[in-house]
Amino acid sequence: MVISFQNVSRYYNDWPALERINLQLEQGEFLVVSGPSGAGKTTLFRHIWMGDLPSSGTVEVAGHSSDRIGRRDLPLLRRKLGIVFQDFRLLPERTVYDNVALPLQVTGTSPKAVRRRVFSLLAEMELNHRRASYPHELSGGEQQRVAIARAMVAHPVILLADEPTGNLDPEVSRKVIDLLVEINRTGTSVVLATHDPRQVPAGVARFIYLDRGHMVNPNSWDGYDQL
Amino acid sequence: MNVGGKLATFLITLLMVSLSFMVFDIFLVVSWNLGSVLRHEQENVGIEVFLMDDAGETQAHNLADLISVMEGVRSVYYVSPREAEAIFRADMPDQADLLALLGPQFHLPASLQVKLHPRYRTSERVEALARTISGMDGVDDVVYGKEYLPGLTRAVSMLEKLVLLAGLVLAVSLSLVVANTVRLAVAKRALTVQIMSIVGAPGWFVRMPFIGEGIVTGVAGSAGSLLLTAAVSVMLSPSVPHEFLPWSWIVLVLALGACSGAAGSWIGMRSGIPRPRR
Repeated sequence: MVISFQNVSRYYNDWPALERINLQLEQGEFLVVSGPSGAGKTTLFRHIWMGDLPSSGTVEVAGHSSDRIGRRDLPLLRRKLGIVFQDFRLLPERTVYDNVALPLQVTGTSPKAVRRRVFSLLAEMELNHRRASYPHELSGGEQQRVAIARAMVAHPVILLADEPTGNLDPEVSRKVIDLLVEINRTGTSVVLATHDPRQVPAGVARFIYLDRGHMVNPNSWDGYDQL
Repeated sequence: MNVGGKLATFLITLLMVSLSFMVFDIFLVVSWNLGSVLRHEQENVGIEVFLMDDAGETQAHNLADLISVMEGVRSVYYVSPREAEAIFRADMPDQADLLALLGPQFHLPASLQVKLHPRYRTSERVEALARTISGMDGVDDVVYGKEYLPGLTRAVSMLEKLVLLAGLVLAVSLSLVVANTVRLAVAKRALTVQIMSIVGAPGWFVRMPFIGEGIVTGVAGSAGSLLLTAAVSVMLSPSVPHEFLPWSWIVLVLALGACSGAAGSWIGMRSGIPRPRR
């Protein structure tokens, strides 16, 4: 089990962002979290990377529990995660190479090992020719691929993708989803938040649906269609 | 933010820190000069022991030996009547004729000049010592600046406390100025801080650039304030003669700048880096 939510609720000034969520994710699984805006998808993600902690209940991620996690443990947890956002969140003053290298640099990886890993990943992502470019010089699809490369560079246990296709056109979105599926095939667990779960090929992923902080009809793609 | 914008922000911050420090520097210059006057006065604090007319030179030397072993006494110097007359003539040449008028039988009394160790130059200790000496055989009178010594002792002690208090108050207020500045810098680089934090950078790795920036700002700001104060000091020198700060105080101001910068950055980072909320 790489992620476990046990009866997790989260309130912001009495407003329930998540209510009694129970959820498990096995190693190598692909989970799609869907639901309308404000349903709690991002809050769920923030609980996985422990940017937020639950008001009640327990979140366990890659061996770290929200009940016991301390400030010094947070970096250790986050090094096991790769996170991709809708708005890419690339550092504008850094080149593609430097953006991708960042997670390795902050953990003190040797420059030689960083170079080897980043070049190999950029080649895989077909971004090698863009390595000296700055984010503003890239298309949306390229920026998102750089963000995915940054998320994958440190070999994470889990890849979290929060609406990664929200700012992309359908053709580029399909390529990004294909890339996530490909990453999942190599054994990395993937959690994808999306408004449109139909982007993900059937049979590849498990789906859950969030509505106003509640989990509705979990584990049922058909159930989702009926909502 | 572009390079020009970053430079402008840094320069504005620097100016703010420099002006805050300048108030402190001016206070230090005034304190230093006032302290110099007080220290000079305090160095002259001693006891003048006038001997009886019939006390011979042997008795004077015996007295000097006794006094010189007393606690707090640094040195004792015997001033013979002849030497006293020479000093009088040198110090008051206009009144030298007075001695001739008084006739050859008149002579100034012999005395012992008692110098004290610095920490014994307080009114209580000098008074106690003077009381002991005045009871000794052959002593006619003891003089030791009875009127001004208590005030001088109080002034020196008050000045020391004032400088210490002002230093503390300023260190705290400057830390808050730098803290606010760093908090703004963190807010402007929120994305960098957030991404660093999300990719698993340890706390010190995220904080280090901001702490470094705080120290540089503090040192540069205090150095700038010293330059501004030195310029003002040079301008005022002809009309108000005074000394600028000694090197040890300059180093102290720079060190205070570094500490305030580091502390300010630390405070700024505490509220600037997002933490998980429960």
